[in-house]
Amino acid sequence: MAKRLRTTSALAAVVILVSACGSSTASPSAAASAAATAAPATAAPATAAPETTAPETAAPATGAPEANLPAVPTGYTELDAALGADKPFSGKKVSIQTQWTGGEGEGFAAAIKDFAAATGIAIQVDSIGSSHETVLKTRIEGGSPPDMAALAQPTGVLAYAAEGKVIDVATFMDATKLKAEFPSTIGLTSDGSHIWSIPTKADVKSMIWYPVKAFAAKGYAVPKTWDELVALADKIVADGSTPFCVSAGGPGTATGWELTDWVEEVLLKTEDPQVTNDWISGKIKFSDPKIKAAFDKVGSLLFKDKYVDGGGTAIVNADLKTVMDPMFNQDTAAPGCWMQKIPVWYGPDFFPDKRTNGGDSKYKIGDDGDIGIFPFPTISDTFKGAEGSADSFMVLNDRPEVRALAEFLATPEGLEGWIKSVGVLSPNVKVPVEWYADNYKLKVANAIATGATAIGFDASDLMPPAVGQGSFWTGISDWANSNGTNTDSVLQAIDDSWPQ
Amino acid sequence: MAQARTQESGLSRFVPIVSLIGLIIAALGVKVLIEPGGGQNLLASIYDLLGNAAGAEELRNGQGDQFYSKLLLGAVALFVGVGGIWLLFTGASTLVERFPPRIRDRIMPWIFVAPALVLLSIYLVYPAVTTVIGSFLDKKGAFTLANWASLGTGPFLEILRNNAIWLLVATSGSVGLGLLAAALFDRIRHEALAKIFIFTPLAISLVGASVIWKFVYAWQPPSQPQFGLLNAIWTSLGNQPVPWATTFPINLPAEILIMIWLQTGFAMVVFSAAIKGVSVEVQEAARLDGANDRQIFFQVIVPLIRGSIITVTTTIAIATLKIFDIVMSMSGGRNHDDVVAVRMFTEMFQFFNDGRAAALATVLFIAVLPVMILNLRNFRRQAAM
Repeated sequence: MAKRLRTTSALAAVVILVSACGSSTASPSAAASAAATAAPATAAPATAAPETTAPETAAPATGAPEANLPAVPTGYTELDAALGADKPFSGKKVSIQTQWTGGEGEGFAAAIKDFAAATGIAIQVDSIGSSHETVLKTRIEGGSPPDMAALAQPTGVLAYAAEGKVIDVATFMDATKLKAEFPSTIGLTSDGSHIWSIPTKADVKSMIWYPVKAFAAKGYAVPKTWDELVALADKIVADGSTPFCVSAGGPGTATGWELTDWVEEVLLKTEDPQVTNDWISGKIKFSDPKIKAAFDKVGSLLFKDKYVDGGGTAIVNADLKTVMDPMFNQDTAAPGCWMQKIPVWYGPDFFPDKRTNGGDSKYKIGDDGDIGIFPFPTISDTFKGAEGSADSFMVLNDRPEVRALAEFLATPEGLEGWIKSVGVLSPNVKVPVEWYADNYKLKVANAIATGATAIGFDASDLMPPAVGQGSFWTGISDWANSNGTNTDSVLQAIDDSWPQ
Repeated sequence: MAQARTQESGLSRFVPIVSLIGLIIAALGVKVLIEPGGGQNLLASIYDLLGNAAGAEELRNGQGDQFYSKLLLGAVALFVGVGGIWLLFTGASTLVERFPPRIRDRIMPWIFVAPALVLLSIYLVYPAVTTVIGSFLDKKGAFTLANWASLGTGPFLEILRNNAIWLLVATSGSVGLGLLAAALFDRIRHEALAKIFIFTPLAISLVGASVIWKFVYAWQPPSQPQFGLLNAIWTSLGNQPVPWATTFPINLPAEILIMIWLQTGFAMVVFSAAIKGVSVEVQEAARLDGANDRQIFFQVIVPLIRGSIITVTTTIAIATLKIFDIVMSMSGGRNHDDVVAVRMFTEMFQFFNDGRAAALATVLFIAVLPVMILNLRNFRRQAAM
């Protein structure tokens, strides 16, 4: 009996151990091979077709006489050294984790290509996609963070900074220079004297996408004010169609942000930007009359009968990827919906033909193309704020070559490759407007940003995450599901969820 | 026996030396595994030995035959892992063999179990304890009861309520339907064929099933054609389309139905085997005593397969308590259908509330405990039988 027990326990132990060891030893090599597959993505040339009608010449071609690099001296110590003739950081490795896949991934690869070639620094980009934040948190808390990482929400940056996981870039970069180049609210993530992240890839959200040719055919004029917008919507309804396409669904479980954007937009266009700031910091509650007024204003438009096909339920159920498909009905000749408020990052990736078949979309963006963009109409004469946001870079490991890359990405040239290939807005004010000249949507976005009386960073991204990505999203879904009839109880529920 | 003993000890004389050599090799292997770029460097030194200096140089610079260096690394890992374990057990058992028999028999089982216990402590007990401690810490690491107190507020009560509904409905639904299917299919001609239909969903992952059912539940505005199966049927009966998956409270049963669809097959297969194990004589005897079919089923078969019922119920109950995938892939728990496991994830990774996430994890752990104990008791009773 004892012997049998011995054999059994031995067998059991071996089985447990082998399976445990098997999985634990397998993981490093699995990670390594994953990294190996990710690495070529950076090295691959930016073969992506430009997203818009930008002429070929604007795309950076290999061997182009002018590389996308800042002129030395750049004002940053390590960057100057890295770009020096002796390439001191050659062969060094820097890892970056981003959420950018697809077109954005190609854009970022184009942005760092010339820098990597000129300095010899091997930049490994881990493009994680939708599980980026989960993977990043695991890596940071686990003590092996990437050297740099991008985050969309400044609250996330501040949370890591509070834990002491983020390097203060002001310790090696000239804070005065940074503040001069990123003066806007969509700027440096900072608390007091520390600068925890540098913005990159800015988005302008105050824009509405519409079918240009159908507007012309019907004789609709682009609305400049809220009243004109409502009048146009009424006209569209009278003509038997549906004015708006709105989706509070996706990507993934990120439901609700398109609706929160509507509210934030209206607030910036009806009240002083300080109201938005106080709302973010919790000084003004959701149940405050000013915030409620913004909700009501949005509700009066989106929940009005026939303004959105299917009403509030449709907003909650619509998938972000497909919500604008009705606009392309009969090649945009007979749109099923006419207007969608969506940020500048939107584009052909979401158009039905490219989405289903790949390749290039046959629909062109532009005032003379198929799909155009107009600025979100103004509401008040005084407050003409615009809404925007920006992803930003945190530095998580302090090494000279990491500093050099961080400094490079802070320069206007740090995004030049991306701007001129796939197209992106830089939050750096030193970026010359001409860089956007060939790209319709960037031109429009830049005009919106420079023409606004104030730029407000997406408020829900700055609120405590339990609200900004939690109760605000669930609340606004509730609100839409009830077609805006329960505004007071929804606002109260969000207030109750505010962390003490 | 005596002869075998001497042979063994004759062999065991070499074991310490072999073990020592093995240990050194294993240590070197571990060094290669831990070292960044260990695989490349190892292959590079092999190339150096073979006289392929150029290949070695390329490898050290992070280029060249990276694939082979990874393959080599995998081989080293396999060797160190499997060989190391073998070495550990052989070495340890040889050492213990030298003790007097009485002590040896005492120690031997522990030698074999110890590594597993150590690994269990590192990977299970240690994280569990830190999780419980973490649930009492605030963001700055100071003691607080706030994480636990917050679980008594509105949204969390809603989550606990949802979990309770899941537990009751999904468990009783799958067990009940499984039992029904097992009992009915026991009497039909093409039993295997019928069972396949119920059993097949079990092969589908929870996320896969959720994707399938997302299409079943899909909603389109009333003006559009309904491509969701359920709404297509529903509207053809003259009703308005219902957003099954996104509106509370209909989304709760809609999601639970997926779990029942998946788990009924499992319950059915176990029950079916158990029912076939009930001897015909007992049923015959009952029939002779004048029992009808229903009485035989409820008063003879069910008591006899009680052990299987408890095992299946507890297994499904544990899976249901920990439910994550279905809710996460259907809606992320954003439409009043949140459950503990999903909220734990969002609190941790989206809201940066590690303490509250730890408290939720502990709640889940405590909730699973009684079910586990019930299950263990049942095992013990069966073992006694």
